Amino acid sequence: MRNWLLPEYIEDVLPRDAYRIEKIRRLIMDKLFVHGYQFVMPPLLEYVESLLAGSGSGMNLRMFKVVDQLSGRMMGLRADMTPQAARIDAHLLNTSGVTRLCYASSVVHTVPDEITRTREPFQVGAELYGHFGIESDLEIQRLLLECLSVSGIQSIHLDLGHIRVFRSLVYGSGIRPEFEMELYAALWAKDTSTLRELVYTGLNDLDKTVREALLLLPELYGDETVLLRARKYLPNFPEISEALDQLEHVAKALEPYVDRIIFDLADLRGYHYHTGMVFAAYTQGSPVAIALGGRYDEIGKSFGRARPATGFSLDLKQLSRLTDINDYPRGILAPWKPQDDELAAMIKQLRIAGHIVVTGLPGENSKEVAGCDRNLVLRNGKWEICPVSG
Amino acid sequence: MPDITIALSKGRIFEDTIPFLKAAGIVPLDDPDTSRKLIIGTNRPDIRLVMVRATDVPTYVQYGAADLGVAGKDVLLEHDGVGLYQPLDLKIARCRMMVAVRDSYDYASAVFQGARLRVATKYVKTARSHFAAKGMHVDLIKLYGSMELAPLVDLADAIVDLVSTGGTLKANRLQAVEEIMPISARLIVNQAALKLKNPTIQPLLEAFNAAIPANI
Repeated sequence: MRNWLLPEYIEDVLPRDAYRIEKIRRLIMDKLFVHGYQFVMPPLLEYVESLLAGSGSGMNLRMFKVVDQLSGRMMGLRADMTPQAARIDAHLLNTSGVTRLCYASSVVHTVPDEITRTREPFQVGAELYGHFGIESDLEIQRLLLECLSVSGIQSIHLDLGHIRVFRSLVYGSGIRPEFEMELYAALWAKDTSTLRELVYTGLNDLDKTVREALLLLPELYGDETVLLRARKYLPNFPEISEALDQLEHVAKALEPYVDRIIFDLADLRGYHYHTGMVFAAYTQGSPVAIALGGRYDEIGKSFGRARPATGFSLDLKQLSRLTDINDYPRGILAPWKPQDDELAAMIKQLRIAGHIVVTGLPGENSKEVAGCDRNLVLRNGKWEICPVSG
Repeated sequence: MPDITIALSKGRIFEDTIPFLKAAGIVPLDDPDTSRKLIIGTNRPDIRLVMVRATDVPTYVQYGAADLGVAGKDVLLEHDGVGLYQPLDLKIARCRMMVAVRDSYDYASAVFQGARLRVATKYVKTARSHFAAKGMHVDLIKLYGSMELAPLVDLADAIVDLVSTGGTLKANRLQAVEEIMPISARLIVNQAALKLKNPTIQPLLEAFNAAIPANI
């Protein structure tokens, strides 16, 4: 029996990796803390309905479910903590002003992520509730960039999109919901040939300006010239020009924080729940985005209290593989001398200064103590730190 | 290390992609049919080609092992292409995804809502969604090749396969009874590569786009 084997795509995190993850977690949480984001710890499992609030059917399939023996209802293990934070804001804190929340914990998925191949990401995120304006989008995005940079991510490419560009084209054009989903899928994949087919056959009663705009969307990605092209060629809907203004404003403000800003008006990630500006951070070495976020003003509605909201989240495990933080600390081994007060004082001092000091137990050999590369040795009546010999 | 890696499959896709590469000023330094190299350099030091199985092209691109790739629509439909952009239909390697049965088989009366059919195919997802849309149950039998044999030895009632000239069907006394969709090869791009390597990739996309044959 190989009963020590773990299930597929479930892993133990061993000391070196765990150290890096924990270090980044602390750095990020400190950053969020000093920006006034209050830490919350939502439950590992709760009723399926509230976990699924406002999310698409994909989330339903990704969620592990169990029957609650106390109520007979279906409970789910969280696959995403964002709806939990939204629920907390909507009902438990219930303030009318701005609420800033952050969280950091494991989530579980029934199927592994396509790229990172894990079923247990470690999700860290920050959410800001109760503010409609572009200023809160900016705050969240700037915060994400600071979190990434403190995590040792050197070059960041920020991808900006705006759900309202597509939404304003679709709303009021009489497109039926099933076509909306197909359009969404084609745009998301920048699949121009399927898109063309769709707008010319399934949607042949479409307004000409809307059709041309939809066909143009997949090409509207790249540097700031995208905004110029969008202003020139997309229909002159007030919603669209407002979205473009917002993108321009945010891009200008974030320029000093990133290597490059890319616009992508067909980036409809999270179209099911996002309602405004969306963003994704990329870095060299990762074939997928390392952090995602955006505005989602509607989720609270399913909890009975619609609140404007924006936030970001990232998988700390994925991030820890890309960081340049690589300083696994080694320790100092102190001998077993319980009567030596001088030694005890020295150990205390070293630990206060942040050093790892392991007191060897009787019979413990210095070469066997994991992670120590130095010894405390008595020389001329004084305790000194020496490298482990041999 | 070259900046851009393009995944291609040997044979028709490779041959048909050559003109597009040429339009972008890229010339392979080896011929994959004679060379056994899996990585083929080009006249441009920043661009290399990797030769993989057709069904593996989306996987290489999805994981970022290749930045670009050329893959048939048939392959993309079977692959759960999360994280892939498919911006260009190159209109090469064209054929049709068809349902085919024995010459003597009465397909029209075998197909009705609620009917059950044994279907052998390499394209399981495509077949499943096609018959589901018709309201039919199908027992799918996954095969890796020579699908034409299945109805002849009574392994299946029908097959779902790619048909380009229909020669193989005819030779085995089969007939194509239904077209599921036209198939052609697409240029696929890794999501992160399109953003991170945009300055190099964008001119390639434009050159490829300009080289697409006008509607035939």
